[in-house]
Amino acid sequence: MVLNSLDKMIQLQKNTANIRNICVLAHVDHGEEEYLINLIDSPGHVDFSSEVSTAVRICDGCIIVVDAVEGVCPQTQAVLRQAWLENIRPVLVINKIDRLIVELKFTPQEAYSHLKNILEQINALTGALFTSKVLEERAERETESQVNPNSEQGEQVYDWSTGLEDTDDSHLYFSPDQGNVVFTSAIDGWGFGIEHFAEIYSQKIGIKKEVLLKTLWGDYYINTKAKKIMKVDQAKGKKPLFVQLILENIWSLYDAVLKKDKEKIDKIVTSLGLKIGAREARHSDPKVQINAICSQWLPISQAVLAMVCQKLPSPLDITAERVEKLMCAGSQTFDSLPPETQALKAAFMKCGSEDTAPVIIFVSKMFAVDAKALPQNKQRPLTQEEIAERHERARRRHAEKLAAAQGQAPLEPTQDGSALETSPQGEELKGDEQEVESETPKPVPQEGTDREAFIAFARVFSGVARRGKKIFVLGPKYSPLEFLQRVPLGFSAPLDDLPPVPHMACCTLENLYLLMGRELEDLEKVPPGNVLGIGGLQDFVLKSATLSTLPSCPPFIPLNFEATPIVRVAVEPKHPSEMPQLVRGMKLLNQADPCVQILIQETGEHVLVTAGEVHLQRCLDDLKERFAKIQISVSEPIIPFRETITKPPTVDMVNEEIGKQQKVAVIHQTKEDQNRIPEGIQVYSGGLITMTTPNKLATLSVRAMPLPEEVTQILEENSDVIRSMEQLISSLNEGKNTQMIHQKTQEKIWEFKGKLEQHLTGRKWRNTVDQIWSFGPRKCGPNILVNKSKDFQNSVWTGPDGKASKEASRYRDLGNSIVSGFQLATLSGPMCEEPLMGVCFVLEEWDLSKFEDQTASDKQNQEQSDLVKEGQGEGETCSGRDEHQDLQGGCSEPSEKKASQKGESSLTDCYGPFSGQLIATMKEACRYALQVKPQRLMAAMYTCDIMATSDVLGRVYAVLSKREGRVLQEEMKEGTDMFIIKAVLPVAESFGFADEIRKRTSGLASPQLIFSHWEIIPSDPFWVPTTEEEYLHFGEKADSENQARKYMNAVRKRKGLYVEEKIVEHAEKQRTLSKNK
Amino acid sequence: MSIFTPTNQIRLTNVAVVRMKRAGKRFEIACYKNKVVGWRSGVEKDLDEVLQTHSVFVNVSKGQVAKKEDLISAFGTDDQTEICKQILTKGEVQVSDKERHTQLEQMFRDIATIVADKCVNPETKRPYTVILIERAMKDIHYSVKPNKSTKQQALEVIKQLKEKMKIERAHMRLRFILPVNEGKKLKEKLKPLIKVIESEDYGQQLDIVCLIDPGCFREIDELVKKETKGKGSLEVLSLKDVEEGDEKLE
Repeated sequence: MVLNSLDKMIQLQKNTANIRNICVLAHVDHGEEEYLINLIDSPGHVDFSSEVSTAVRICDGCIIVVDAVEGVCPQTQAVLRQAWLENIRPVLVINKIDRLIVELKFTPQEAYSHLKNILEQINALTGALFTSKVLEERAERETESQVNPNSEQGEQVYDWSTGLEDTDDSHLYFSPDQGNVVFTSAIDGWGFGIEHFAEIYSQKIGIKKEVLLKTLWGDYYINTKAKKIMKVDQAKGKKPLFVQLILENIWSLYDAVLKKDKEKIDKIVTSLGLKIGAREARHSDPKVQINAICSQWLPISQAVLAMVCQKLPSPLDITAERVEKLMCAGSQTFDSLPPETQALKAAFMKCGSEDTAPVIIFVSKMFAVDAKALPQNKQRPLTQEEIAERHERARRRHAEKLAAAQGQAPLEPTQDGSALETSPQGEELKGDEQEVESETPKPVPQEGTDREAFIAFARVFSGVARRGKKIFVLGPKYSPLEFLQRVPLGFSAPLDDLPPVPHMACCTLENLYLLMGRELEDLEKVPPGNVLGIGGLQDFVLKSATLSTLPSCPPFIPLNFEATPIVRVAVEPKHPSEMPQLVRGMKLLNQADPCVQILIQETGEHVLVTAGEVHLQRCLDDLKERFAKIQISVSEPIIPFRETITKPPTVDMVNEEIGKQQKVAVIHQTKEDQNRIPEGIQVYSGGLITMTTPNKLATLSVRAMPLPEEVTQILEENSDVIRSMEQLISSLNEGKNTQMIHQKTQEKIWEFKGKLEQHLTGRKWRNTVDQIWSFGPRKCGPNILVNKSKDFQNSVWTGPDGKASKEASRYRDLGNSIVSGFQLATLSGPMCEEPLMGVCFVLEEWDLSKFEDQTASDKQNQEQSDLVKEGQGEGETCSGRDEHQDLQGGCSEPSEKKASQKGESSLTDCYGPFSGQLIATMKEACRYALQVKPQRLMAAMYTCDIMATSDVLGRVYAVLSKREGRVLQEEMKEGTDMFIIKAVLPVAESFGFADEIRKRTSGLASPQLIFSHWEIIPSDPFWVPTTEEEYLHFGEKADSENQARKYMNAVRKRKGLYVEEKIVEHAEKQRTLSKNK
Repeated sequence: MSIFTPTNQIRLTNVAVVRMKRAGKRFEIACYKNKVVGWRSGVEKDLDEVLQTHSVFVNVSKGQVAKKEDLISAFGTDDQTEICKQILTKGEVQVSDKERHTQLEQMFRDIATIVADKCVNPETKRPYTVILIERAMKDIHYSVKPNKSTKQQALEVIKQLKEKMKIERAHMRLRFILPVNEGKKLKEKLKPLIKVIESEDYGQQLDIVCLIDPGCFREIDELVKKETKGKGSLEVLSLKDVEEGDEKLE
């Protein structure tokens, strides 16, 4: 039971049959044989269940610890499920039995029924897992047989059984008489399995051990007279054997100790044949006494480890089922793998340690270690000889010094110096104290001092891992088939010359470590079945990988993560200049944590996605203290919105038809309308906006229309097609007609056009598709610019048509400006400067005649432009933040320059270049066109899959509805009592959602969020009550703020835009600053 | 003359005075603090929430009410409420503490938003977030000037931030199409203004795609127009050259 030397451990590693991989290493003497147990502890919190996943993969068995008081918790279920999914054998430890005695004051009988209950619950869970698996298999079989018409009809009819009856599941369950359950109290240091007591009592009462083993747990009692064991009849008040023979003894011990009954304690101690030290016996704290007695009587380590050695499989006993499962990723079946790969199964099963055996290693996670902690950078303790040698040297030096002091011949100092240099550090100088021994640290690589080294946490499944061995690193997406296709069969060139195969790399095993708790020990080679650490893989492995000497080895199936990353936060450095450190730190964190995701968003935010709040906290701490070593600040991520318009509503907020109602607040309404549209812009019926450039040379008429939902969707999906189209047009515009259009792209473009035509039907949209001029924003977004003017012929389709338009270049330049204006307008809408979506702008008319006249006459008559300028006193109508103004104002060079150029550039007047004016005018026109229509916000939505048990269903719904979520469907998972709920949830409401739902359902529901689509928020952000009914219903101020308005104002506030909000709500309620005189 | 009786005196507290001079006379009204700006921007619609009393004063602190004939001569009416409204919209205002505070805060945010919008991290070509810019602005102790436009101030801020952190204005992508014979000459002149030339193509025409600092756009535009006498053309390919889309870090 004691941790022996390293050599012993290495020796033990060689004997595969005596290894139990369950990362604390312990070497165990159990009976005749010696065992090596790799014990991997995993945290219990839900957020860290990814750690469990990584550990479970490289284990052969697991110990599941259950609290005797609290029983089965949600996390127990999760752990059981994980063990089940990985096909590893579990054993059960029921801990904290002492609490039943001391805290709950149960009688032995009560305790027995309580324990029985817990066991039943756990077995029920196991049973549920088993049945769901059997049912799944059955369903698969059925689909197969449907595909296969050869199967006999008769069989189909009679096959009503679920298949459960045929499958033996008795070995799955936990039962003390099977020896896979142990009862313990770790705090008091005791624990027992039934076997222990069976042995004692078989001698005491003379009943066979085998009989006792079967009957000690369960409803049996002993008839002392007949020395027979009978079935319990509760009515007779007989106690079960477990109570009578085991629990009562323990209870009486506790009783005696707690009551400080000296005599009784002594009696028990002597009867058990124990020796209690005088110190413990005299100790006043009963806990110490119990611990002293019990740890001798029923030592916990023996009980647990005995069970581990007996019940858990060794790497040799790996089941064929598990091997096949590990090797078949996705929906592949084992039979579909190439024969070379199938042959590997034997290697797995054999777990051979010969040098010929293929090496297969699975890396389940990467963990960061301080580079200083690596064994090669660490100082070794000195051996006896070295110490003796140093003594000798020091003594000599001392003598020399004395001699020198006495004025004798000086000795060579160089020799002395060199001796100093070579002496390793850490020596305690016994000699002359004045002798300054300069510390000569081992040469550590400079950059290694503050760097984190990554060590791969791995297990050898087959073959011997040797230092310096060349090995393939197979990524999760690697396919052995691909390799076999690319590389000829008899390929025998050196590994470095291999042709590149995706997801495969070749590297050398550099450092192998033995993991001993926090310590690492260097190893030369690692035989199969062992857990090990591998250094120097950080450049090859991101999170997990399969290593093998054979390229035909398939990558293992990806780890089953019980928890998916769901909590999103934006991370920023406290000091903006520390950005690079943050990015580097996040990269390291990503590698070190199996369950973290890191995104860089378009907004420039660095988003950290973690499994839960606790996990998040740990990630942030790691980032702050280890990986980035900077101060960081964490905030809610920015939530994107889209702006759009809808058809005017037909009913108002209280579902009354609009138009029939008497408007009460007409005054407010008109006032607002006036505010929105400044003077100088004509608004015609149907929302047609006409606007003139500041120099009065061009007039544009624009109308905005909502696009049908399907069209928006098509546009979203085909953004890459639009992009390629755009490239095509631009290359055509340059006159590069020679460039061939790829056949495939052209087909795609026509298909896309066809789809659009299919959906844009009706009078309103006639010919629209042919007149599409551009898409926006960024020339590929979900908004359309349509040109309906007469002389327009430059639609997006002309490019793919192959006939480059020979349009006059003067129109092309101006057209570009208008398109730019449209791009700008779609990039930031009027509501809160968010991009538009699903809007169609129709350019009904463009009047550039004046401009043409001017350019024509300009050449002859220079003064005209000056006249025009004088006539324009009015300022620019467009206000605020447009890109274009920046072009004009941002660089406004001194005006004398302009004056000097007056003669040359007729197009530039006091309003800047004409193209710029056109951009601004188009942009403003689009904005106003939007504003006269009913505007709406679009919110990003998550689809949310929630797994929940039936008893917390109600609470799940409550959380969902509180956060504006909507349930789409709910169905029961077959064979379990789990429900799967599908819902949609606005991204804006998702912050803290995971935490809330877990808290409210005590962890029984686990959500999963994936971005799905954009959805229009039905409420109008500018809505105020207008009709009498609405007044009655909402009051004058509309007390309940509507959702869209709330979002809009939040975004505006964040961006520093003007928010229509009162600084002080009630004037009278302000604090009186001057005192009453 | 009435006897001075403090008991029937109504004292106004929390007063914000709005003044207006008309017809050589000064008129004042007594309003609540932090409310006048709200009225002017149309957020506050209830007049009683703005005015302490509907009467028009000559001097609010002394309690001197304006004479009726003065009001008629100045405003042409003696409807006190009407006059109050006029004064409210056109008079000089005392900006109260909270009003000033919100205004400055809003401008501060606006500046940060503009800076974040225009700039990128030159290493990653990705924008900085507004929050980060705000923090950086606080770090350099930038104080907002209420009488300057936010855009101007934003450009100033960018200059100052460049000294503290890695920030650069997002480049603009332009395309020139120039006649060949003039093109070569012009290219030499354009060179100092261009940051990066992405592609050059001498065909029948000289075709250059390049990145420039947006501050130089106007200069370049004028140069091209002047040198080629309208034959060369300039096309804005993108206003901001930034990385698009989300990226998963691996």
